[in-house]
Amino acid sequence: MKSIKPFALLRWLLALVALGIMLAVLLNKSPREEMPPEPTPVAAEPVASSEPDMAEEVFGSPLPALESLEQLDLETPPARRGLDLQHWTTSQGTKVYYMQADELPMLDVQLLFAAGASRDGDKPGLAMLTNALLNEGTERLSADDIASGFERLGAQFSNSAYRDMGLITLRSLTASDKLEPALALFAQILAEPAFPAKAVERVREQMLAGLQYRLQSPGAQASEAFWSALYPEHPYGILPDGQADSLKAISRADLQRFHNTYYSSGNAVIALVGAISREQAEQLAQHLADALPDGPAAELTPEPQPVTASRIQVDFNSEQTQVIVGQQGIKRGDPDYAALYLGNQILGGSGFGSRLMEQVRENRGLAYSVSSGFTPMQAPGPFSINLQTRNDQAALALEVVNSTLDEFIAKGPTEAELARAKQQVLGQFPLSTASNSAIVGQLAAIGFYHLPLNQMQLFMDEVQALTAEQIQSAFAAHLDPSQRVTITVGPPQPEADAEPDTENAEQSEAEAIPAPAETSPTEKATP
Amino acid sequence: MLRLIFALLTLPLLSFTAAADESRQPTHSYTLDNGLKVIIREDHRAPVVVSQVWYKVGSSDEPPGQTGLSHALEHMMFKGSKNLEPGQASRLLGSLGASENAMTTRDYTAYYQTLSRDQLPVALELEAERMHQLSLPEDEFLKEIEVIKEERRMRVDDNPNGLAYERFLTQAYMASPYGQPVIGWMHDLDRMQIEDLRAWYRAHYVPANATLVIVGDVYPETVKPLVERYFGVVPARTPVPIRTPLELPVGGERSLVQHLDVQLPSLLLGFNVPSLGTSKNPWEVHALRLLDAVLDGGHSARLASNLERGSNLATTVGTNYDPFSRGDSLFSISGIPNLSRDVSLEQLEQAVWQQIDLIKMTPPSTEELERVQAQLVAQLVFAQDDINTQATRIGALESAGLPWELVDQDVEALQAITPEQISDVARRYLVPERMTRTTILPLAKEAQP
Repeated sequence: MKSIKPFALLRWLLALVALGIMLAVLLNKSPREEMPPEPTPVAAEPVASSEPDMAEEVFGSPLPALESLEQLDLETPPARRGLDLQHWTTSQGTKVYYMQADELPMLDVQLLFAAGASRDGDKPGLAMLTNALLNEGTERLSADDIASGFERLGAQFSNSAYRDMGLITLRSLTASDKLEPALALFAQILAEPAFPAKAVERVREQMLAGLQYRLQSPGAQASEAFWSALYPEHPYGILPDGQADSLKAISRADLQRFHNTYYSSGNAVIALVGAISREQAEQLAQHLADALPDGPAAELTPEPQPVTASRIQVDFNSEQTQVIVGQQGIKRGDPDYAALYLGNQILGGSGFGSRLMEQVRENRGLAYSVSSGFTPMQAPGPFSINLQTRNDQAALALEVVNSTLDEFIAKGPTEAELARAKQQVLGQFPLSTASNSAIVGQLAAIGFYHLPLNQMQLFMDEVQALTAEQIQSAFAAHLDPSQRVTITVGPPQPEADAEPDTENAEQSEAEAIPAPAETSPTEKATP
Repeated sequence: MLRLIFALLTLPLLSFTAAADESRQPTHSYTLDNGLKVIIREDHRAPVVVSQVWYKVGSSDEPPGQTGLSHALEHMMFKGSKNLEPGQASRLLGSLGASENAMTTRDYTAYYQTLSRDQLPVALELEAERMHQLSLPEDEFLKEIEVIKEERRMRVDDNPNGLAYERFLTQAYMASPYGQPVIGWMHDLDRMQIEDLRAWYRAHYVPANATLVIVGDVYPETVKPLVERYFGVVPARTPVPIRTPLELPVGGERSLVQHLDVQLPSLLLGFNVPSLGTSKNPWEVHALRLLDAVLDGGHSARLASNLERGSNLATTVGTNYDPFSRGDSLFSISGIPNLSRDVSLEQLEQAVWQQIDLIKMTPPSTEELERVQAQLVAQLVFAQDDINTQATRIGALESAGLPWELVDQDVEALQAITPEQISDVARRYLVPERMTRTTILPLAKEAQP
């Protein structure tokens, strides 16, 4: 899970400095901006397909001469880990999700609160600063006590905040001399964070440094411009990291108020996966809920107003231009989610073999990574396509992206692509539930977004039943090009921005479908 | 993928923990007639498996003028083999829902697929084919080298900290090829030819230079025949001998001032130290790992407690040591001074030296070491939650020329170290004559609008 806490970012930077370019990785999937645990798909009644040429349908034709492929049984979905997911509520009404996993003597605990940056109000950065301070001191313990308290037990505590949620996690051994003190410390952090003045100042300073660090990252600049363009009058449009002046204006009282309002028992979801019994889990969850301040669930984040297409160039001194093309997408629980998820796998969500990867990287060598994705959130989150390319290729890359997207919206997937994508989703499921950490994240998201406990199964059934027409019409319904926003971050490109570059247009295989930049108002903005 | 590796290397010394006796998993190791070493570890929690092939070739093997060869070859391994068109293997694996990736470092190049256990034969057959029947077509190379240059621009040229680190390494390693960038200098990428890659492939992609690691819901009785069927047919050839990257023991104090397009100044100190691959006294390496943990093994470690929280001199500060490399390594300390309090780089460095001097004089307390041990023991349980982590540990050790069995002996090795030995290695290695300092400073003001 990606943490967007500023000092986590700085530590990451340090590690990057130290680890540097030692590692070169082939397949870089661009991280999505919002990364709450994603309830992934899941498995599945066998798809009744008795066609003899299923292998060719899935793998394409002609099949390579590989005996392992011929022997593969595609009729039976791959085996998966048994998942006995359970749900109840505590006496306060806190929702609890649990799966027993006795194989390893460990427990994962996640607490999710509707306490993300969308609750910042007129104090951008408040949610993140509150979350970051939870382990920086309680009424009885200092930050040092807390850190050494967990570490001498071998327990791992983490906290992070996103737009929708604030998250607190604990991973501990289940031996009682480890688990009990770790949970006691954890509960104390939930119950009485003290927001000591000295810690507030220090973490505030780290966040200010984090804001400065963002300024040297073209990717961070692009992302910020994108969210801001998509949600101009909506809480999603503000940067969760805050702004220098807003951070400086946050008082200790603001932090206490935010904590009391949003880190409450009615606003929490508890997820537990590990080697504890149901009875232990019930006691444990009740104990944690008892520690939280009383309070109701927060109101849902309001719906954003739609925005019209725009084209924003942020000037930046770099070798590459960052490109983001996207618009408002869907919220969690949208009835079209399965169709959009599966369609996106084909468009650009599944790496090699997806249309964008083929068109941008494999056929033209324009970028190292290109990907597309929906980020369903409590209110409609973004759909986006991200890439970065050498500056003189940015116009061409943008054109390839737009024409690939337009073609997909107009015509939808082919039958072969559909069959392949369905098989892919079936095959991914066992991997996405193999580890305890993956399961606890999915359980927590199910609770947070009010999804049914059998969400994973429902999703798989829906995916397997989809037709190409349903995917096409879902894309057409949700991705109206008149709302498509284009962000470029890099050196200014005077002519290419305003008008299509005829030279590049000739090189491109794209035809017929006009790029939205030609038909939409163009806007220039520099932050 | 980067995140995974990042997590592995930054969990301080705790990254290569061992399985304790009670939780040790059945592991089977043997060698095929053609020299391929095979390690199979059983993990039956979920019906999934990871298959990894590791070649003992990385950027430290590359001659000057040809940097980036190993990484470029990694990319070309996806561009077709005897029975497969360029990109076809990835599309096949994608259709199955498998996840695949590859990585190149100074010491090795590795490829892996994670998939449902019933699909393992597909991964093995594909991997075996490209071990000896790779196509390496020139037209694909000409496109792919442009992708690699984009990768370099993204990771290094547009990332001032990446750029700074690349330059720092050229100074920190005076004699060792670890000073060369894994991704290669841009001027070397510009002049790379497909023939260079064909020669590199022939020389290094040899069964006896590779390790196959399989971890997951499998049993040796069923996997061994599969491995034999697909990898047994790869012809045996003699690999190029491996030369351990060695550094000068005491190179002299070096300093490099870099003005780059950064917003925050930062400090990086690197000390030339041995690794488990080069040290004649392995205890020294384990003591250096504990030194790393005492200074930066978690939120309660010394640097965070004293310099981030206590004195507020650092916005962030930490250490890094890779003990499992094939060649001589670096122990590095890096940090960003607290600008809100006008702390200078010099003040930060001074504070870091105070911490170093302190541990040279006074061995760490029992409590500090117990905390490190507790984290170690817990980590070895947590690590078992992920088969990729387990396989990567085994493969990385073997590829650095170290026996995979160290995975299961690591806690004991660390427990044998005394507090005095930790102070001893600090005195021995954290000295100016072994140090390279780089300071990274923002450009003069008028550059940014």
